[in-house]
Amino acid sequence: MLRTMILLAGLLALTGGIAPASAASTAKQPAAAQAHRVHRIVIDKMQYGPMPTDVRAGDIIEWTNKDILEHSATARDGHFDVDLKPGASGRVTATTGMLAFFCKFHPTMTATLVVK
Amino acid sequence: MNKPLLALALAFGIASVASVQAQTPAASPAPAINDAQIAHIAYTAGEIDITAAKQALEKSSNKDVRAFAEEMARDHAAVNVQALALVKKLGVTPQDNPTSQSLSKHAAAEIKKLAALKGNAFDKAYVDNEVAYHQAVNGALSDTLIPSAQNAELKSLLETGLKLFQSHQMHAEHLAQNLK
Repeated sequence: MLRTMILLAGLLALTGGIAPASAASTAKQPAAAQAHRVHRIVIDKMQYGPMPTDVRAGDIIEWTNKDILEHSATARDGHFDVDLKPGASGRVTATTGMLAFFCKFHPTMTATLVVK
Repeated sequence: MNKPLLALALAFGIASVASVQAQTPAASPAPAINDAQIAHIAYTAGEIDITAAKQALEKSSNKDVRAFAEEMARDHAAVNVQALALVKKLGVTPQDNPTSQSLSKHAAAEIKKLAALKGNAFDKAYVDNEVAYHQAVNGALSDTLIPSAQNAELKSLLETGLKLFQSHQMHAEHLAQNLK
């Protein structure tokens, strides 16, 4: 009985040990690609900071307003409108395409983000 | 107020402060204007634009002009709140000076001139003046006020203000083009 149990445990450990490893080797790539990342855009002195690259649909775009004035991230196509008081942050989920946005309080502030 | 007039007002005011400073003996070469005067000039310049914006909001029915005026009123008020908080923190009392006085005097004349105008004529005159005003103030900030500021926090706030007012100038220029 004891021998059977040890054998069973050994088998389980063996298969369990191999299975996740083989699964991980095949699933690792898609799992990493599917994980939704957070991309941050800092606003300061009347400007959107550098646009993040390699943004994929489903990722999170987060704006943080470090300026002394209220700003917004407002989509040209009306898809989103995030109000950002001084010191505040706001998020949207990225959708595929060219994501053009501006500050509705300061129309000279504009930016475009590419989402794959 | 047209641009040359305002530039003259600013230059004259700053030169007047400089001459007053020059008469007082100083151990080390003092800047033409001190931080208390710079804070007063910056605050006054903001208040002038808020007053102009309020006049525009009373008189104009043009959607774009009103949006611009709202931007001016909101942003200059926000900067002036920061300026007041900073001078309080630094224990500085803003000091009246010939530049502030010149700015106020010319702004009052401009308000009076614009009060006599209506419709498109008002919109155009208001926006043209905003272009000239921001050009002159930005010039004074970059050439005189920022280089003269001694306190690092005041200098930093003025630099932030300059970025903001440059954006206002761009917006005003764009608007002026559309009103032609």
